[in-house]
Amino acid sequence: MSLPEALRALPQQAPAQSVWPQLAAQLAAQGRARAQPAARLSTRRWRVPAALAAGVLLVAIAWPLRQHKTPGPAVADATVSLPAASISTNAANSANATSKQSTDRSADAATRLASLQDRSQALEHWLRETQRAAAPLSGQDLAAAAEIEDMIALVDGQLGAAPRDSEVRLWQRRVALLEDLTALRYSSYKLAEKTGVALR
Amino acid sequence: MSEAFSQLELPASVVERARAGDLAAFEQIYRRFEKPVYTLALRMLGDGESAREVLHDAMLKVFQRIDQYRNDAPFWAWLRQIVSNEALMRLRREHRFESEADAELIVDGAAPPWVRADSLALERALGTLPALTRSVLWLYHVEGYSHPEIAGMVGKTISFSKSQVARGTARLRDLLVPAEVESVSCRTQTSLAL
Repeated sequence: MSLPEALRALPQQAPAQSVWPQLAAQLAAQGRARAQPAARLSTRRWRVPAALAAGVLLVAIAWPLRQHKTPGPAVADATVSLPAASISTNAANSANATSKQSTDRSADAATRLASLQDRSQALEHWLRETQRAAAPLSGQDLAAAAEIEDMIALVDGQLGAAPRDSEVRLWQRRVALLEDLTALRYSSYKLAEKTGVALR
Repeated sequence: MSEAFSQLELPASVVERARAGDLAAFEQIYRRFEKPVYTLALRMLGDGESAREVLHDAMLKVFQRIDQYRNDAPFWAWLRQIVSNEALMRLRREHRFESEADAELIVDGAAPPWVRADSLALERALGTLPALTRSVLWLYHVEGYSHPEIAGMVGKTISFSKSQVARGTARLRDLLVPAEVESVSCRTQTSLAL
């Protein structure tokens, strides 16, 4: 064995701790990267047509809350009363935000922010409520769910250090990701309902 | 196997997605090259923390400059060049750019010791070489850079690169032979005692 062969045969090494989380945060902070748009994730990973997903989401949010008669009427009301247009796509959110712009921009932004926070809270509430009643996710869906949860954690990290004028954009992003997660869980939730297979 | 660096191809679509700012594509690139990049940095610098910092800095640089990457060369070659430069810059900054002092080059007919040495012993011996000598040795023997290329990277002459490879090789031989002799001696003593 020659020296080059002996050196090449040495095992590869891996860092004790990945530097990816730092890199991802830096790329996002520099505006160099963004997570995949929600619509692309939905169609590519779960093959749910966008129009159907929008309709399904409406049912997904409203139906289980009524079915289980969960506590927290304020949250439930906020969830159910949200307009369908606001949960269909990011584009709809942006268009909605644009159309609402008025002379009093700061008041508008505050309203928008509050609405997004309500929406985020309602989606999280639904995800919590239905988690145990859902069927186990397939490997592919599980990986997708983990990826979305990572992205949500990343947004949460950014929100902690974001200037005020970035808050709306980040909350929009958070809501879009939660909607993706909801669409993913909804399939398994409905499957559990049909087959009786649920998480224990 | 350290060879893996040059065996990793990246689909053009991933690079395109990264250019468009897709975070998942950046992560795909990171995951694919994490180990080869870290290993190269570790071999050149000799310590894990510095290697981790080079992994971070080089990857960030690659992501920031991905628009500058042209498809006429393999992605891994571009990335490897950036990693090597980062590691060499760090050696310069840390004043670890001194080369191995002249060593007596003795070539005998015996089989080279790395034929029998285990990977741990070889890694340990490699770790005792001066950083610049080790880097040149690694870039030449493992990464396949030519002497003119290495000379350009370290800002020295081609002769310098050649002498570092020769001296590094001789030093490794010296370091590994005593271990072997000691090991044989121990075995002999044990068998006598029995």
